[in-house]
Amino acid sequence: MDLLLQVIINGLLLGGLYALMALGLALVWGVLNIVNLAHGALIMLGGYAGYYLFTLMGIDPFLALPLVMLLLFILGYALQRYVLTLIARSPMFNTLLITFGLDVIFMVLAQLFFSADFRTINPSYAGAHVTWFGLTFPQVQLYSFAVALLLTVGLWLLLLHTRIGRAIRATAQNLSAARLYGVNPKKIYALTFGIGAALAGAAGDLYGVVSQITPYIGATLTAKCFAIAIIGGLENPLGVIVGGVLLALIESLTALYVGPTFIDVASFGVLVLVLIIRPQGLLGKTAK
Amino acid sequence: MKRSIVALAGLLIVGQALAQNVITLGASVQETGALANTGRYYRDGYNFAVDKINAKGGLKVAGNSYQLAVKILDNQSDSNLSVRQYVQLLNQDKVSFLLGPFASNFALADSSVAEKFQVPMIQGGGASDQIFNRGYQYIFGTLPVASRYFESTLSMMKTLTPKPQTVAVLFADDAFDVSVAKGTEKWVAEAGMKLVANERYSTNASDFSTLISKLRSVHPDAVLVAGHETEVLNFIRQAKSLNFSPKLYSFTVGVPTEDFRHALGKDANYAFGMTSWIASPNNKDDYFADAKAFAEAYKAKFGYDPDYHAASAVADVEAFAKAIEKAQSTDPKKVRDAITQLNFQSLYGPIAFNATGQISLPQTVIQVQHNAVVDIYGQKTINKPIYPMPSWDKR
Repeated sequence: MDLLLQVIINGLLLGGLYALMALGLALVWGVLNIVNLAHGALIMLGGYAGYYLFTLMGIDPFLALPLVMLLLFILGYALQRYVLTLIARSPMFNTLLITFGLDVIFMVLAQLFFSADFRTINPSYAGAHVTWFGLTFPQVQLYSFAVALLLTVGLWLLLLHTRIGRAIRATAQNLSAARLYGVNPKKIYALTFGIGAALAGAAGDLYGVVSQITPYIGATLTAKCFAIAIIGGLENPLGVIVGGVLLALIESLTALYVGPTFIDVASFGVLVLVLIIRPQGLLGKTAK
Repeated sequence: MKRSIVALAGLLIVGQALAQNVITLGASVQETGALANTGRYYRDGYNFAVDKINAKGGLKVAGNSYQLAVKILDNQSDSNLSVRQYVQLLNQDKVSFLLGPFASNFALADSSVAEKFQVPMIQGGGASDQIFNRGYQYIFGTLPVASRYFESTLSMMKTLTPKPQTVAVLFADDAFDVSVAKGTEKWVAEAGMKLVANERYSTNASDFSTLISKLRSVHPDAVLVAGHETEVLNFIRQAKSLNFSPKLYSFTVGVPTEDFRHALGKDANYAFGMTSWIASPNNKDDYFADAKAFAEAYKAKFGYDPDYHAASAVADVEAFAKAIEKAQSTDPKKVRDAITQLNFQSLYGPIAFNATGQISLPQTVIQVQHNAVVDIYGQKTINKPIYPMPSWDKR
């Protein structure tokens, strides 16, 4: 029983990080209709940003979050403004190709500049934990979960209650109507992609504290984010939290009851099931 | 004009004469991609050994002197590409002999190319028993047999007080680690200990929290992990954050490398590992003087410490040099036969291949103590192990 509870807690905490990873992908997908295959690479770059801020300047990874997010925001904004805008309104396949290309470029550049060595962000409290009711809660994962929740709720509030948020939603729903109301879609697109990249950066920074960063982590993370975004739906940031936690729980319970080698079978099996039964995602309303 | 034509013709003749006297070794290595971190040891080791042998005058074969060259292709950590590259090396680039890639699943597939073309491949990157128990004639290996990786560790564990009673084994689901795990079951039983968990996980797994929680509930005295470096790092970090500390844990890979200690800092302490090679001046060598001199020169040239992968790669090149000189021929069949007869002292250890094509080399048990790797146990205790490992909150 204790083991089951512990495994569920592990899954829940991991789920927070998963959700944060997928949040930016879901946002960019939902608003810009770009399935960003370079999303995992942006997470990887965020990880390196956090790593260098920590090792070279001694900035705690949690305090570095705003800075990492700002750096990635600038990168994302520029990418949309100067690269992805070239293929705006072209078929989905082109956006897949170009983001795949970006993914490869970032990976190769990362190996060139950062080498293939493993990097970990290892602050003194990295392995600390608290024990409640005989269950172990890794501190870093608790913090990460809190950050993920904060950023998700923050994004939700931003989308629902600010001018920018309304403009983003309007652009996603009806581009020409938004234009009529004075929204500059180019700016909104760049802003959205920037926010997506900033969220990826935050996820990367935290990922570096629980796991390690190499130039090659991107592809696997993109696949995971893709599954979470589908399961959670693209309409609602809170859906992404549900998707992330659900995926992590499925993985943990599969590892416990079936065997760790079946994790991917189970998680992608669920993805297929969701696509068949509720293609709009678990919390999504209707398919577009 | 006339003069320059003569000069050009002269150059061509010299060039051709040189070209005739080069023996090229070919390899497909992970220079980029997920395995690039270990692949570089092979790339750098091959190049370093070839340079050194050439600097010492190259090879003397049937009265002619030959220079060695190495042609390395980057397989981008993709084993399918690796197979195609070995075919390309033989068909298109016309290399004379093959050096190996890193990792058993690569060597397993690539050795079929060597066998099909009947060109010998000496590889120091794949240890799985599967590579060698197919009756192939053209594949040779300089890593210890995978199934015996934990043999010396278990033999050391028998000498510890209190002697560990229960053992858990974790292993990745690839050719090499499955072989390690199969062998380890036997060594555990032979040591009179009880196997309380034997768990297989997917290669590249990053979340070990469930496995660790499961292990915590069965309290093994010792945990033996056969996996890859990134998994080992994840395992240790998550073991710390879930407050799991057995009396001892040991890992097939990672522990000897500098990268491991950099990534973990002081959390690397007390981890046991193994190495098929130590940079000791006792390992005499014809080309580099000894293993210690080699390690220093390597570090100076490439900027990082070599580990057993690099030494194994150097031994592969040296084995070809010795075999070609022994055969006094560059005919692949004759060189193959000469390889089976080899018996020489390299900086990596004595090189003599058995009937299946592998060398016999015991693993030395090592442990990270006070942020440095210490040799603990070979055939007998070299240095005192720190055991039991202090729990995380007592460090």
